[in-house]
Amino acid sequence: MRQQLDTAIRLSLVAQVRNRFAWILLVAFVPVWYLVIGSMISHTGVAFMLRATGTALVVDGHNLTLITAGLSSITLITGFVVFATVRRSRSFDRRLVLSGYRPSALIAAKTGGALVQAVAIGAYAAIIMLFFWRPAGVWAIAVTFMLAAATYAALGLLIGVLVRGDLEGFFLIIMVSMLDTFLENPVDNPLANKLILEFFPSYGPTQFAAAGAFHHQALMSMAAVSLAWTAAFALLGLVVLRLRMPRPARVAGPARSTTVEPPRPAGVPPLQSRRVGPPQVPDQGETPPAVATSPVRAAAPAGVTPPAGPPRS
Amino acid sequence: MTALAARGICKSFGRRQVLTGLDLEVAAGEMVAVVGENGTGKTTLLRILAGDLRPDTGSVTIGGRPGYCPQTVVLDEALTVDQHVRYFQAAYGLGGTGRAGELIERLGYASCRGQRAGTLSGGTRQKLSLTLALMHDPPILLLDEPYQGFDWQTYLAFWELTGELRDRGTATVVISHLVFEQERFDRICHLTGGRIQEEVGSHAPAA
Repeated sequence: MRQQLDTAIRLSLVAQVRNRFAWILLVAFVPVWYLVIGSMISHTGVAFMLRATGTALVVDGHNLTLITAGLSSITLITGFVVFATVRRSRSFDRRLVLSGYRPSALIAAKTGGALVQAVAIGAYAAIIMLFFWRPAGVWAIAVTFMLAAATYAALGLLIGVLVRGDLEGFFLIIMVSMLDTFLENPVDNPLANKLILEFFPSYGPTQFAAAGAFHHQALMSMAAVSLAWTAAFALLGLVVLRLRMPRPARVAGPARSTTVEPPRPAGVPPLQSRRVGPPQVPDQGETPPAVATSPVRAAAPAGVTPPAGPPRS
Repeated sequence: MTALAARGICKSFGRRQVLTGLDLEVAAGEMVAVVGENGTGKTTLLRILAGDLRPDTGSVTIGGRPGYCPQTVVLDEALTVDQHVRYFQAAYGLGGTGRAGELIERLGYASCRGQRAGTLSGGTRQKLSLTLALMHDPPILLLDEPYQGFDWQTYLAFWELTGELRDRGTATVVISHLVFEQERFDRICHLTGGRIQEEVGSHAPAA
């Protein structure tokens, strides 16, 4: 188990680090996003409600927008990176499990990898923000970004195991992130201080950041709300991931046996057989294609390049 | 000695019945081809034998962890050949990667060991997939169209390898829509109507 866990953590991180598009997004998109959004919003005062304490603040609209812009960029990037990783490795993980890999080792590695990415991306976005604004509570911004990145890493995982196509997944992540982070900012949305926004994933991080950056206060309850979103998304995603992994019978002795009984009428005794796990959820495209011919013949095999001479050893 | 026994395998996808009470028994050291038209359920059968898919009803008994080479090459595009080997070393619980290294040499792609799977040619990807299935010296091999994309030398090396494994008692099931060089197999099983309808070969059991 230890060897499997170590290998899975190391190699899943290696695979994630090699996601070039994610690197480009991180290096280019985050600073450009700060620059564009920051240049469009003036330093005028905006009313912001710290709902957790009932405190009404007047904050710098430009600076508040930088926070929500940072949230917007890191939630998009983290969601995309984890979604892409989960989608890409789905079939490969199945093969590993069929070859004896423990699903728990793969799941632990994925969870650990997603958390490492969330922390790294959150910290990076906070550091880049310092080029545009140096808030007194920069630690609160960094924690906020890590919390939001963790939530969207978990959301990326959930969407990765639920959605069948890449396009649908990317679209979902973009829509959820844009709506969620846009609505929390009173500069973009005049209704941002309304009660309903408490039920959005970015509510906790936005409140935590605003309290830390503008009011020198650590709202731990808001961090807990954010972590609850993360836990809920992650739990759902990991359960679905586990259910969709194959369940070959353990090879304890020299043989493995899997038996599934047909339905039998009431009163008929069962056969001597052993049930192993619940039914599999078939992947899309499992149904084989239809109709063609298949003669048995002797010639060069399809897909094999024969030499110039007669095809024989 | 029986290496694999499948009994009464039924599998449907929606209303479509693909396998309808299929029986298949393979002895240790036996090389069996399962052939049939497209859509007759060959890949479904192999996935059930490998444990990748559950049958609706029926039983599968296998003597140990099979070496499974799926029809679609399943690799992690971002990992190198050596990293794939290390992943499967951990999966099989092997102490070393000596056998995998030997297979890589024999299949002729040792120069690609540091290359990522995403940059390998189709044939080399197939070789890597086969290496991952063989590297733990399995008691039974389940191969779905295993030589797609092989060049001639690799094709011959493949048969040499499977021949050696057969001599050591490994049972082999090859799925193919076409079977060439029938003499290489002990038995050829035709999958029609969801069952093995006809068996050709010296060791074929009575129908």
